[in-house]
Amino acid sequence: MAEMAIEVSHLVKRYKKHTAVDKISLNVNKGEIFGLIGPDGAGKSTVMKAVAGILKFDEGIIRVFDVNIDSERNAEKIKSRLGFMPQGLGLNLYPELSVEENINFFAHLRSVPKDRLSKWKRQLLDMTRLTPFRTRRMKNLSGGMKQKLGLVCTLIHEPELLILDEPTTGVDPVSRRDFWEILMHLLREKNVTALISTAYLDEAIRFNHLVLMFQGKMLAQGEPDEILKMVHGSSLELVATPHSIATDILSQVFQTEATGNRIRLFVEGKGFEEAKHTIEKILRENRIEIKDIYAREPELEDVFIALLKKEHPDSDSSPHPSFTHSPSIAPSFAHPPSVAIEAKKITKYFGKFCAVDNASFSVQKGKIFGLLGPNGAGKTTLIKMLCGIIPPTGGNATVAGVDIHHIKDVKERIGYMSQIFSLYLDLTVKENIKLYAGIYGLDKKETRMRLDWIIDMAGLEGHEEDLAGQLPMGIRQRLALGCALVHKPEVLFLDEPTSAVDPVGRRTFWDILLHLSRKERVTILVTTHYMMDAEHCDHLALMYAGKIIADGSPEKLKADVTIKAGTLLEISTNRLLFSLEVLEDTGFKGPALYGNKIHLLTHTPDEDIERIKSLFSEKKIEVKSISKYPLSMEDVFVYDITALEQEESYAV
Amino acid sequence: MRFKRILAIIIKEFREILRDPLYFSLAFVVPSMIMLMFGYGISLDVENIPFAVVDYDKTQLSRDYTYKFAKSRYFNLKAYVEDERLLDKMLNKGAIRVGIVIPEHFQKDLSAGRDVAVQSLIDGTLPYRTKITKGYVAVMNAAFNLEVLSRYIAKIKGIPFEQTISQVNPISLQVRYLYNESVKSIYSLAPALIGMILLMSPPFLTALGIVREKESGSIYNIYSSTVSRAEFLIGKLFPYVIISIINANILWIMAVSLFGVPFKGNLPFFAAATAIYVICSTGIGLLVSIFVRTQIAAMLVTTVLTVIPAWLYSGVVIPISSLDKIARIEAHLFPAMYYNYIVMGSFLKGVGVDILWKNVVALIIYSILLFTAGYLLFHKRVKA
Repeated sequence: MAEMAIEVSHLVKRYKKHTAVDKISLNVNKGEIFGLIGPDGAGKSTVMKAVAGILKFDEGIIRVFDVNIDSERNAEKIKSRLGFMPQGLGLNLYPELSVEENINFFAHLRSVPKDRLSKWKRQLLDMTRLTPFRTRRMKNLSGGMKQKLGLVCTLIHEPELLILDEPTTGVDPVSRRDFWEILMHLLREKNVTALISTAYLDEAIRFNHLVLMFQGKMLAQGEPDEILKMVHGSSLELVATPHSIATDILSQVFQTEATGNRIRLFVEGKGFEEAKHTIEKILRENRIEIKDIYAREPELEDVFIALLKKEHPDSDSSPHPSFTHSPSIAPSFAHPPSVAIEAKKITKYFGKFCAVDNASFSVQKGKIFGLLGPNGAGKTTLIKMLCGIIPPTGGNATVAGVDIHHIKDVKERIGYMSQIFSLYLDLTVKENIKLYAGIYGLDKKETRMRLDWIIDMAGLEGHEEDLAGQLPMGIRQRLALGCALVHKPEVLFLDEPTSAVDPVGRRTFWDILLHLSRKERVTILVTTHYMMDAEHCDHLALMYAGKIIADGSPEKLKADVTIKAGTLLEISTNRLLFSLEVLEDTGFKGPALYGNKIHLLTHTPDEDIERIKSLFSEKKIEVKSISKYPLSMEDVFVYDITALEQEESYAV
Repeated sequence: MRFKRILAIIIKEFREILRDPLYFSLAFVVPSMIMLMFGYGISLDVENIPFAVVDYDKTQLSRDYTYKFAKSRYFNLKAYVEDERLLDKMLNKGAIRVGIVIPEHFQKDLSAGRDVAVQSLIDGTLPYRTKITKGYVAVMNAAFNLEVLSRYIAKIKGIPFEQTISQVNPISLQVRYLYNESVKSIYSLAPALIGMILLMSPPFLTALGIVREKESGSIYNIYSSTVSRAEFLIGKLFPYVIISIINANILWIMAVSLFGVPFKGNLPFFAAATAIYVICSTGIGLLVSIFVRTQIAAMLVTTVLTVIPAWLYSGVVIPISSLDKIARIEAHLFPAMYYNYIVMGSFLKGVGVDILWKNVVALIIYSILLFTAGYLLFHKRVKA
């Protein structure tokens, strides 16, 4: 039996009346990478802090390295052996101190001997490529660098147990990949144990073992593959016309997620053929043509939602899109394409700092335009300029046909929903909507009509008299959306709307957005750093360091990368790190660790599959699987940024 | 207890304070600024009271009466006006605080030995100042009366004027003001301000410094490390005590050189007592930081706990002895009062340990209580 690093049984933590963690039990073996996965408010941080011995809890037992963490005195016993990194990108670092001063401070706190410190520090700095920035103040680092510095500071005393609370939230995909790679190397080399939380479900495959959490409760526990098998069913993707009617019909029966022109489904309890048959039957009855239907790898998100629905059958997840059944859906060619947002070389300087650098793009009316990029890429600044909140330094833009310098006219035509949902938490749902109606000067009759429309559209029935502050995040988000729509804006701006919402809420939210764009012909510009959100957009722009580095439809962006860099291969072996080294040594370009698999881009996939197979058998590596794999938006993003960085380094 | 760990925290803390412009100014600029603003801004002296006169008589004697006021350092003649209504206007505008109306036949009636009524209009918006002003006016008036009388007697008896003056004024009052000989309010105000500022500034810095770490999450570095509670608290608070002691020096120099306040006491004793006082007020900041979680809350609570008592109970504005019973009990609960005795004793009275030791003991007890409470309430394993 493997030795235990952490044993948690029946942990309960209450903050006043609110139960944050409700009877969570988990065991972490030594040398394991253990994941806590769940949306904001799931109780992840609470579990981690309790394990780290820095938070009291109400019930249950926690043992770390066989020490019962039941008092401050006992908790002290394990602190020399663990490293804890709290939530928030680099927030636990000291902004006024340089990179090296930060590291030294952590080392001195932990009484790391001098000779060991200098050696280990050099190694860590090299590994994280922070060596050239040793003397730079922490506040002047990019998000990804802050995160890496945070990791270095947590590792400086060579802890046996690492507890990292959402280390990858808000970091760009490139830095995220870097981060995981560094971590994997370290964990294997030093044989440390790690407890890591994340809100990104797509990171789940990186863990040996994981717990899915939701609202303080545990939904599932096990290895990623085990959890994927917990809910029997199959995942499908299909293309059908008319798209929106097909979506409406299917969503009443199955777990459905509509992206630009595809529909993804998860059919519980059925094999692929059986599921396909059922779907084809339903759609045929409704005279909907299926153009393409195929099986898809089941994802953790499908399982999460299925489990969630089992656990919380009464939990409000689907809105009641009764309004969506208006039969008068005009085919899109009835509307002449017109431009809703047009940006021409729009630029914004804050002092010497260029936040947005010559951004140009245009968005057609009724489309969903996604602005993707890591924290600090300039997304929020760009949105604020388009909304007329801050004036641009250079360039110009029109929104709904109005020059953005005509601030008042712009504001009448747009709706804006900020990251923090500008709601009045001590007003009821109805009062909030009425307040916004009043602000925009709607008369009594209009107000009543919009109120009914918003409540229906956002699925707020039954919550009309609830205080906004008491609503769950998903519903609160929809209320904020409703308030932003009260004056029938032509263009809707959403600034990171899905950051705080669980997967169920996120799907529901996207369903609503899709209906708004397709049926109400509202143009939507949305920013996000979730790659999953990107798949929903008609058109995407990737933003990095103030510049738009790529734009096009998701399909086009993926196709572009395929043309430039080739097809993606996914390789799974029994000796992952060694395989990676072998690939690098044999001259394969840019193999990357992706969870417990290796991703590799190549122009000659079929030849390379054979080459790798023979190469690995030579080196006595057992190949579990090797196959072509569809590119994700994250792959696109990583490729584009890496290419850009290389170009820049050549230029220098 | 490991000295190296404490030192690491101290160095980190100093670096942060010196490099962050906001913190730097809060630590080193704000205290001196308060001293300057209050030192120059508040004057409790009632001098140079602006006044105007309506002289309906326009004679030698009526002018003498006016000059009597104008000559003194307590009054400042702004204007002769023609009409009482103009006086009202000037009072309304705040251009003058006293208006004097001299009636017709002022000289003629006085010479004939008849009573004369001079009207004085006094701005009563600030009762404290009004009472003093009224006293000054009455004294001026009495002095003029005396002169008129003396002149009359001198004329009748044919003796020199000076001699008559002393005859009608047989008892002369000799006043010697002790401690603050020239009765300049800045002599009392500047030392009192030192006490006030040193009660406010250290807790602000300390509370913000600790709560900032709570807010950002960097406190978790401490919670999750092997640093002991005592090591952390010593390392964290030491820089603030040092900064406050530097400030105490600056403030003392400002009081002595800029405001010219004489320092008559024992400097080493005063320095030691001040250090204890600063440690004590740093302890208030520590205690505040334990109960609040945001910097805003830290500022509000610190303000309520220090600024208000510093004003009310340090004896800067109102002497402790003239507070009512409950307020006097409250005053004893705050360290400001004890230090104020030490400051006043050292600056103005020139007394030392022999008389002031009780206050020092009070401050030491206060400090020990604060730090013990702070240490016991600070935990590395928290409730929320």
